[in-house]
Amino acid sequence: MTTKDNEISTARHRSERRWLRWAGRNVMLTVGLLMLILLILFTVLTPFIVPIDAFSISAASKLQPPGLDHLLGTDELGRDQMSRLIIGANISLRVAFAATVLTAIFGISLGMLSGQYPLADIFISQISDALLIFPGVVLAIMILAALGPSEVNVVIAVFVLYVPRVIRTVRAAVIEYRGADFVMAARSLGASDLRILSLHIFPRAIGPIMVQLSLGFSSAILVEAGLSFLGLGAPAPAPTWGGMISGARDYIRTAPWLMIAPGAIITYAVISLNLIGDGLRDMLDPRSRSIGQ
Amino acid sequence: MFAYMVRRIVIFVPTLFITLTLIFVLTRMLPGSPVASLLGGQSVNSAMLDRVSQDLGLDRPIFVQYIEWLPKILTGTFGESLFFTKPVSEVLMQRLPVTLSLTVFALVVTIVVGIPLGILSAVKRGSFLDYLGNIVSSIGMALPPFWLGFILILVFAVDLKWLPSSGYRPIEMGFWPWLSRLILPTIALSLSQIGLIVRMTRSTMLEVLDTDYVGMARAKGMPEWIVIMRHALRNAMVQIITAIGLLFALGLGGSVIIEQVFALPGLGELITTAAIRRDYATLEAGIFYLTLTALVVNLLVDIAYAYLNPRVRLA
Repeated sequence: MTTKDNEISTARHRSERRWLRWAGRNVMLTVGLLMLILLILFTVLTPFIVPIDAFSISAASKLQPPGLDHLLGTDELGRDQMSRLIIGANISLRVAFAATVLTAIFGISLGMLSGQYPLADIFISQISDALLIFPGVVLAIMILAALGPSEVNVVIAVFVLYVPRVIRTVRAAVIEYRGADFVMAARSLGASDLRILSLHIFPRAIGPIMVQLSLGFSSAILVEAGLSFLGLGAPAPAPTWGGMISGARDYIRTAPWLMIAPGAIITYAVISLNLIGDGLRDMLDPRSRSIGQ
Repeated sequence: MFAYMVRRIVIFVPTLFITLTLIFVLTRMLPGSPVASLLGGQSVNSAMLDRVSQDLGLDRPIFVQYIEWLPKILTGTFGESLFFTKPVSEVLMQRLPVTLSLTVFALVVTIVVGIPLGILSAVKRGSFLDYLGNIVSSIGMALPPFWLGFILILVFAVDLKWLPSSGYRPIEMGFWPWLSRLILPTIALSLSQIGLIVRMTRSTMLEVLDTDYVGMARAKGMPEWIVIMRHALRNAMVQIITAIGLLFALGLGGSVIIEQVFALPGLGELITTAAIRRDYATLEAGIFYLTLTALVVNLLVDIAYAYLNPRVRLA
């Protein structure tokens, strides 16, 4: 082996070790990310391994327990539960992702507006505080009652539920830093408000915002499941996780597997995202380490 | 203290007003006429639709409807629901006790289990118990409460047959029939809240245990449990109490779904049913009551907080 090869291999070795060390320092973040990647791989790759058919109805194969034909059994209409779970994962992750992106865009821009300009603040803060008053999913239920149940409307409802929290976080950061020396320095050099907000203040606030958004993502999955359980989510025959739980209630005695699987996968998804959120917090703010130390 | 209370109650008024306006706007927004929903399967012509709308006052400008609606909701007369034969306020009064017993039970369980667990995790930081507490709270927060409800039914009602699976009996029909039907919903509702309060108590206690006055108490040679209970916990309590107000609101929100699982005829069940059939009067009134309860509890918590923490009331 030439010296050059040797160098390359040690360099690779070193970078691998660096990854391992990083993972060792950020256990929760690593585990959470791995769990999430596994879930995404499960939804993406399974259709290549077993045929996926979430919709075809067959009276002959209804309510079959888990077995070789149907790994997770079939429901009361003979639909394959694993296929339904995978399509459900798509819906759930899609809704949560879309709601989180909306929350990020509007939360960050409205939060900056309200932190920077007192006049805008009166308006934005009043409304976002009012939205925070409603307990739990009540606000989402009200929105869906007005708009009607659909996947897009669930995104809107979850967005309205979580955007006030991000607005508050961003607003607090802007208020904290707007009098800081580095802002004054930038301003005296003629930087515009937009430049100061986006290039000087935003990078310093990104930690808490990321934590808020990742926890919002996992809450969004729970809320989506809850709303579809109530019949306010994407309408049938869309196989939402919450809708599957609702459908399984009538067969809880005869076909408990229909009840167990969708809840288990929700729990798994939420744990992985919570781990990512907690891990991010620990990584960005070592003072708040939640385990050990 | 009195000045603080007055100030706090004055802030309460605009909050209430904005909440009411939001409720009104959202419930009147966009499609889906309640009249069509009420007439349901009947074959309706547009003339009949118009007549029913007129009878109910739904044809007038939305602003006029709002002005008429505001004093009514504030005085507790919510008008007639299109789906119940009695006034909405009567329906609400029947259902409020169900929701309140459920949320208060869940809150009590949460406090009794969660706060000691949080304190222990903080005091025995890094120990097996701490890790266990962390795992339990992580899982508790990730379980969808409504699914947990069904799993509890599966285990304790279907398999073990220890408790009834669903329904509600008023306390007048006996203490056990009433209590036994609330046990499973209470567990389902409180587990995620326990997760939250454990974490919150733990981090608050850790902060307090790090302060100079706790070090001082230890240096004086006080027994550790007195240091923890009298010096640390008392100060940590100030923050934990704020979290309790939050927990109560969370519990009210959670009860909305849990009541569906256990077929409990509470406010939440009323709200979700009203939402699905666009029963405005009931939806508004139910949400108003639920939100008002949360607001009042928060007000009381804030006042208790100020009482415990002079820095707040004198600020």
